[in-house]
Amino acid sequence: MFLLITMVLIVVAMVITSIRMIIGPTVWDRLLALNLISAKTILLLTLYGSYTDNIHVLDVSIAYGIIGFLTITLLSLFISRGGRQK
Amino acid sequence: MIYKILLIISWIYVIFGVIGIFRFNNMYARLLTGSKIDTAASITIIAALIIRAGISQFSIKLLLILLFLMVTNPISNHVLARSAYLNGIEVKKEGKG
Repeated sequence: MFLLITMVLIVVAMVITSIRMIIGPTVWDRLLALNLISAKTILLLTLYGSYTDNIHVLDVSIAYGIIGFLTITLLSLFISRGGRQK
Repeated sequence: MIYKILLIISWIYVIFGVIGIFRFNNMYARLLTGSKIDTAASITIIAALIIRAGISQFSIKLLLILLFLMVTNPISNHVLARSAYLNGIEVKKEGKG
């Protein structure tokens, strides 16, 4: 029961973070919101895996963690190199 | 029983993380929510799940995720802060925010 409340709380936090992603004045606010959402997705997957006692969901969350980390690193590298207009 | 207390603590972290995004006004303060508060929330949640799962293959994988998150989350926020600092936002000297 507690896990369900935590999952609902994390989903609500992700929705609110996506609002910050839409408002965000600078590109880095959007990147920060993306980073937050990917971190929360990992937590959500871990919670769901342990709620249904299914060990394979944990592998999915590890894979998503790697992809999320790569996304942030490459996107900020792309932006710090000036993006498309160079 | 213990994992319930830890989960309640993690609720507080998640709520503060969300409040922190909208309350702070400059970019670098907002990065604090992404790196510190979010990592603390994930440490608490995964520690609670490890205690709930007890000694099993399940908790070993959870430990792996915990270590992975503790390493990658600060690094990705560092990369973000560096790219924001290098060609974007200058660090304002005023105290608040």
